[in-house]
Amino acid sequence: MRAKPGQPNQRESVISFGLLGLLFLIGLWIFTAQFNFDMGRFGMSVPVDEVSAAKQGITGKETAALESFAPAGFEASSGVETYTAENLYEKIDGKADFYLDSGFRKLFTRRFKDRNDDALWFEVYLYDMASNRGAFSVFSVQRRPEAVASGVLEPIYTYRTANALYCMNGHYYIELVGSVESEPLFGAIMETRDNLRKNLPVDMVTEITELKLFPAASLVPESFKLYLSDVFGFEKLTNTFTARYKADDEIITAFFSRRPDAQDARNIAQAYHSFLLESGCTDKATTNEALKNLKASVIDSYGATEIIFVTGPFVAGVHEAQNQSAAQKLVEMLADSLLVAAGQKK
Amino acid sequence: MNNPEQRQSGRREFLARTAKAGLAVAAVGAASYLLYDPAVPTPAEDAGRLVTLPDFSVPAVPAKAMSIVTGAERTRTVDKAIELLGGIERFVKPGETVAIKPNVAFASPPALGATTNPDLVGEVVRLCYKAGARKVIIADNPINDAASCFALSGVDAAARRTGAQVLLPTDSMFKYTTLEGGKLIRNWQVFFEPFIKADKLIGIAPVKDHQRAGASMTIKNWYGLLGGRRNIFHQDINTIIAELSMMVRPTLVILDGTEVMVTNGPTGGSVSDLKRANTMIASCDQVAADAYGCTLLGLKPSDLPYLAKAQQAGSGKIDYESLKPKLTAIS
Repeated sequence: MRAKPGQPNQRESVISFGLLGLLFLIGLWIFTAQFNFDMGRFGMSVPVDEVSAAKQGITGKETAALESFAPAGFEASSGVETYTAENLYEKIDGKADFYLDSGFRKLFTRRFKDRNDDALWFEVYLYDMASNRGAFSVFSVQRRPEAVASGVLEPIYTYRTANALYCMNGHYYIELVGSVESEPLFGAIMETRDNLRKNLPVDMVTEITELKLFPAASLVPESFKLYLSDVFGFEKLTNTFTARYKADDEIITAFFSRRPDAQDARNIAQAYHSFLLESGCTDKATTNEALKNLKASVIDSYGATEIIFVTGPFVAGVHEAQNQSAAQKLVEMLADSLLVAAGQKK
Repeated sequence: MNNPEQRQSGRREFLARTAKAGLAVAAVGAASYLLYDPAVPTPAEDAGRLVTLPDFSVPAVPAKAMSIVTGAERTRTVDKAIELLGGIERFVKPGETVAIKPNVAFASPPALGATTNPDLVGEVVRLCYKAGARKVIIADNPINDAASCFALSGVDAAARRTGAQVLLPTDSMFKYTTLEGGKLIRNWQVFFEPFIKADKLIGIAPVKDHQRAGASMTIKNWYGLLGGRRNIFHQDINTIIAELSMMVRPTLVILDGTEVMVTNGPTGGSVSDLKRANTMIASCDQVAADAYGCTLLGLKPSDLPYLAKAQQAGSGKIDYESLKPKLTAIS
């Protein structure tokens, strides 16, 4: 149908009304949405699976494992509480970011108390860290210096203190924290740990294979740590394993980070070197032939020695050693191990 | 468009439409100009529903602003620390209501040092009643279940034992506040009920390592008064702690360094996270208390940027020695 001159034709009218209708709907949506304004929603949303599971009353395997068991003489004194990335801070406050940066998915907690003594209780913290590396990072970085191996399996991945047990199992990091120092209480904690290992199947190994790359001689047992970000205060140095070594009367920290390729390793090493120099450190001469062959950078870090080298995809070195000679020996050992891993030496 | 009549009609119509469009733009512009309010919304506009926390501080007494007492028993060291400042009677008058704000952030046992020690809370309550207080209220707003936090930390039992009232937070106890000159505390919920009822305010906090802030002591303790999704403030932790020092003007703060959480704070979890420092600090200056307290963690005041911000805001002095703190040891 042809429109009169100066008047819109039918198609134009339909499009116009359509656009007006769309604008009206957008306005209506904004009007409705603003009643639900919540600052906490910025950057945080309830995972869909969480909402869906809650609506359907689905119980996860972690909840089931915590609900199905209480150690002998103990009873549950709380329900299973579940925390997601959105509300983890409600449970652990200022420590939440550390977990979130390490891949945290969910936390399940439950308290158990002695049937005859209210003062004897412990709480299970079952962190799903999505990967064994995430679990190992939070486990190892928080490892208490006074910790002792629990005398059970896998001392690298389990330790105890006077009142608590800490361990990992696949992608789970588990804390069992007692209210007081008490051996009967600790017995219940161990029983719970064993039960969790049995009743909470994991589809991921606990072992972190990279730890074998650290040379065994003079290694401080179970001193491994995995830092996922901002290592030694340098933002670009990530995914870095460290281990401590006894050298005469000093403890020296060795480190390495496996990068995607050799070029990336060289870039990171160079950037870390520049970062140290910008921070007031200075280059240092070395007569050590092995270090020269490695093209290692030896740096004076306010009286301590920092050594950085690259082998294949590895950026590695020694961090803030007081004894340069001992640090150089450690670098030689570490380099040998990494050269083999990089396929550059048999 | 070759017809001259049609061409003339088209030109007329174009001019008419342009004029209408121009009028419409002018009308919208004029309306905007008339409705434009150059002043951004200020707290005064919300004065009807915004509250301001009272100033609970007491008049300064020369050389009696801060005391540091060393000793292993909290009840004795806190008694002495308050005595050195002029005694509890300087701070609490007969018939007054005292609000005590401990750190009860977690459902954690006293042995782990993540919360204020219950014996210490009990002793301060006892002192307040001894000075003639009509009522002592103990209040905190843990994000997690408050009843569990008070029960498992032992603070609830200490309150019952000494006759204090524990005020568990409910929605109606919160009011909105805006801190004058504040960047973050603007139109934000605060646990206000204890302040309505109190004449005096005493903060009691343990010295703790804190993953994000560096340390959690007397000023950070006020974080527990904030409501809502307060974790968003963790992104600017130094500013929020400095603002808390501006928002809360306490009568007295007590910083417990008897056992210090040196690692894995603020929750800890192992007794091995604690180190015995056997130190109790009482202070009318919360910045000075924290400046000294951080040394128990092996830190310098310059390691905690919020202290400089708080000092700059006029909340207190980092140079605690300038206050000539009273020092003594209890064997």
